Amino acid sequence: MINKIEDTRKNFDDDLVKVTNLADLEELRIKYLSRGQGLVSNLFGSLKDVKKDDKPKVGQALNQLKIYTQAKYDELKEKFETEVNSSKQIIDLTLPGRKREIGSKHILIQTLNEITDIFKGWGFSVYEGPELESDYYNFEALNFAPDHPARDMQDTFFITEKFLLRTHTSPVQVRVMTENKPPIRALMPGKVFRNEAISAKSYCLFHQVEGLVIDTDITFAELKGTLVAFAKLFYGQEVPYRFRASFFPFTEPSAEMDVWWQPKGKPGRWLEILGCGMVDPNVLINVDIDPEKYTGYAFGMGIERTAMRKYGIDDIRILFDNDKRFLTQF
Amino acid sequence: MKVSLKWLNDYINLKGISLDEILDKLTYAGLEVEEVVDQAKNFENIVVGYVKEAGKHPNADKLSLCKVNDGTEEFSVVCGAPNVASGQKVVFAKIGAVIPNGGMKIEKAKIRGQVSFGMLCSERELGISDDHSGIMILDPALKEGTPISEALGMDDVLIEVAITPNRADALSHIGIARDLSALFNIPLKLPELKLNESSAASKSFAEIEIQDAENCPRYVGKVVTNVQIKESPEWLKKKLKSIGSRPINNVVDVTNFILYELGQPLHAFDLDMLNGKKIIVRKAGSDKKFVTLDSKERNLQPDNLMICDAKIPVAIAGVMGGENSEVTASTKNILIESAFFNPSSVRKTAKQLGMSTDASYRFERGTDPVNTLFSAKRAAQLIQETAGGEIAKGEIDAYPKELKSIETFVRFNRVDKILGYHIASDEIEKILVNLGFIIKEKSNDKIAVIVPSWRHDIEREIDLIEEIARIYGYNKIPEINKITIALEEKINQSAFNNKIREVLNSLGFFEIITNSFLSDSIAVKFGKPVSILNPQNSEMAQLRPSLIPGMLYTISKNIKVNEKDLQLFEIGKVFEKVSDSAIQSFDDFKETEQLLFSVCGNSARSEWYLADKPFDFSELKGFAQSFLGKLLSGTNLQVRYEKLPKDVMHYSFEILAGNTLLGYGGKLNKEICDIFDVETEVYVFQTNLIDLQKVMLPQRNFTELLKFPKVFRDCAFLINSEIESDQVVGVIKESCSNLLHNVKLFDIFQSESLGKGKKSLAFQLEFYDRNKTLTDEDIDKDFRNAIKIVEQKFGAQLRGS
Repeated sequence: MINKIEDTRKNFDDDLVKVTNLADLEELRIKYLSRGQGLVSNLFGSLKDVKKDDKPKVGQALNQLKIYTQAKYDELKEKFETEVNSSKQIIDLTLPGRKREIGSKHILIQTLNEITDIFKGWGFSVYEGPELESDYYNFEALNFAPDHPARDMQDTFFITEKFLLRTHTSPVQVRVMTENKPPIRALMPGKVFRNEAISAKSYCLFHQVEGLVIDTDITFAELKGTLVAFAKLFYGQEVPYRFRASFFPFTEPSAEMDVWWQPKGKPGRWLEILGCGMVDPNVLINVDIDPEKYTGYAFGMGIERTAMRKYGIDDIRILFDNDKRFLTQF
Repeated sequence: MKVSLKWLNDYINLKGISLDEILDKLTYAGLEVEEVVDQAKNFENIVVGYVKEAGKHPNADKLSLCKVNDGTEEFSVVCGAPNVASGQKVVFAKIGAVIPNGGMKIEKAKIRGQVSFGMLCSERELGISDDHSGIMILDPALKEGTPISEALGMDDVLIEVAITPNRADALSHIGIARDLSALFNIPLKLPELKLNESSAASKSFAEIEIQDAENCPRYVGKVVTNVQIKESPEWLKKKLKSIGSRPINNVVDVTNFILYELGQPLHAFDLDMLNGKKIIVRKAGSDKKFVTLDSKERNLQPDNLMICDAKIPVAIAGVMGGENSEVTASTKNILIESAFFNPSSVRKTAKQLGMSTDASYRFERGTDPVNTLFSAKRAAQLIQETAGGEIAKGEIDAYPKELKSIETFVRFNRVDKILGYHIASDEIEKILVNLGFIIKEKSNDKIAVIVPSWRHDIEREIDLIEEIARIYGYNKIPEINKITIALEEKINQSAFNNKIREVLNSLGFFEIITNSFLSDSIAVKFGKPVSILNPQNSEMAQLRPSLIPGMLYTISKNIKVNEKDLQLFEIGKVFEKVSDSAIQSFDDFKETEQLLFSVCGNSARSEWYLADKPFDFSELKGFAQSFLGKLLSGTNLQVRYEKLPKDVMHYSFEILAGNTLLGYGGKLNKEICDIFDVETEVYVFQTNLIDLQKVMLPQRNFTELLKFPKVFRDCAFLINSEIESDQVVGVIKESCSNLLHNVKLFDIFQSESLGKGKKSLAFQLEFYDRNKTLTDEDIDKDFRNAIKIVEQKFGAQLRGS
């Protein structure tokens, strides 16, 4: 029996050398190790015929053979499988990756967020108000006299004589000042409407962001300081700027701020970026804030023009076309 | 407003100040310069030339070969004009010149074998007339080499200034000059009156009666008799032409001149055409039709203020005169009107009649009531100078309602408080005086002034502060970089919307912003829309009651450019009337912030690892659940189904948190998509952001991680096809203890081999206990029970058993 075991081991070793792939190895397994018919398994079957005294010795040898053959088999199997696996990796690595499309915010919102983020860092809170406004909030409380030509500055969509689509975000100022007491530091973004024919330069609606600060000791110098700091952060530290006198019924003194715009390959020019001023005492009186005690400033800027400049867009309509080829660019 | 720099120089001496400095100062002071035309620039390298010799061109009969001197050098010039002759002074465009009319650049050129160093110009080539019969022959007294702009007086600078609505006083040359006077601290020179009046009084020629003193506080009439209507003298025509006003005749030109000089609109009536030689200022009343001097018939409103004679209207007050009384070639006697009308009355009338004239533009912004007298006199003087005749003595000055001058003051410390910068009191005084304020009183802490009658925008201290800051210069006020921070509670509305955007972006959605206006026919399909009173056109007559139309427009446009696979969203306001009645208060309509997202086309286009996979209902539902799940994580969401087709969508579902409806979605009806020419299937989900925000938990609390393993059991049932998977899930959940935490449908299989009307549904049940490891026995009871009840309830059969 011991000889038989030895022969089997020798035969196994001889066969083992000839194994070159997984298929050969499987044949080897069936020949020696398969349950019921494998040569090694069969030897275990013959164990019952061995004399009782020899049984431990033979059993031990048989076990060793089993362990030996199994180990050799496992070793080769692992080797071949690794080879097969690595050969499988010859699959085309240049196949396209499985991409996922990530969406994006509209660039107007991206631009708006960029602006509001700057002011939020300076303690401004964000407020919003209705788009369908009353004449009171949009004009009257903001010191626009009835039948005053100042109303012509903003072509208005009317709903009724007393209700309209807000022409600027300034009515939110009135709402904020009515609902809160100073100190106030508010930022008011939103959609506004002007009855202007749709063209490359104008659209019937656009976005604005408005700022309002009310406290004791707020001055024109602080207004300038804040807006200059904003312009430097948004347009670059070195951007040339200037303040010009202007007119808005709800601020006095009123100003417009220009920055120098230098498009590539074209002559540079001053570009108006925002309107601003000290809150008119009449507006404060309208919301029960004592103008002797409190002063404040307000400013407002258009988002579309800012975004168009920033991204080099020359037709405002493309912003509202929502063409996917446009949306996916930002 | 168009301003001529030469004209300005009549009232302020700007010599020695550079053009750029003038333009900058105007702009900084709020008179924004929008455009500048420097005429001299049009005539660069064009000078007076002396034709020393004009001989025949050797190779061309019709051409001359001339020798032209420009004062320093002699040039050979080929000229084709028939009238060129030696000894002439001509317009010589040298090499480098650009011909004003046509823009041709003059270069050295060989013409029929002869080199020409320039060109002699016709009037048409200079752009000063249509004459092209020959070259322009100049005054022999002109010195050769003189720039042609100077020789022809074409060296003006024209400045287009944008005047804000508060600055009616700046709508004239003197108005602008006054600001410049304050800005440069140079005295203003007003025109002097030299009236040569006859002995007959104006009052003896005509009578003025104001019936509406509220709307016409002052009406000055002045009479000039025996005038001769003819062309204006050159100086007057030139002034008007320089700012783009067309000369008509001497009398009309004078009135226009005064308008642009002093800002007072005047009107000249043919006195003999006025019935009863009388002016009555009254409302139109029963007069319905009126022909203005542009020969157009206007439909009057009863409350339009009219200038009438004893019988009929002769002018629309402050807007335009009438054809029936206008000055014509045969006019002999003139009544000059110089009035002050109530700005809002003129504005209303002009708006109602759809007219805007130079006169109405100024009247509706407010003219100077005091200046009416001066303007009438100056007009009479200039009419006499240009049209002869006699100026009747005195004026007919109807001034029933005297306008009081306004007095106010400014405290010096208030200037500091508003500006954050100290301006010396002497500086303040100087600025105010230069602007025409009369100092009433000055003390250590304040200055009291009388506001000039032309400044309707100034009545308060803050108005004076603006004047001081504006003239002193905004750019001289320092920038303070220290800000006082107000600590207040953050309002997180916009932060919430941004969070929504980010979740949707990560799910692959792109944000769109669409037009808020819709046509009538589309708007009514989506709700009770709010109408625009003055829409631009019928396509934009309603406010959107829903975001769906804008979405479908966008999808339609994208499909047309072959962008067919779309995941889009919009956040925006929608508007709906609460009832059918008109909007009188904020309660009569609802303005709601909504979110709409949509999917259409393919969720995945075929790739090497995947076949085309169109978007379907369950994908939309999955997006809605993922979106709300992320946004409201920790909130228990339920889905409810509505199988009946609705107006806008069929196959719809709603997602709720408790009793609050968070949103609903589904597949849009074909009829709706057809309106927008969208043939593909579109799935949308819409939600009200205010409600959504209310449901969002203010804070999420940490949940202890599971310490014991989860156990999964799978089972598959053969079941009738019409039974919905959700029903089975519900039954499984009900039949198990609280060890069961989730039931997942992981396979659906339908085949003939299963039998007709049958399908196989496979579920995975997830069990765990937070406090111990579950054994098979713990679960077996639940699992067996679930199978038993599903089999009983649905007549189902456990597969593989």
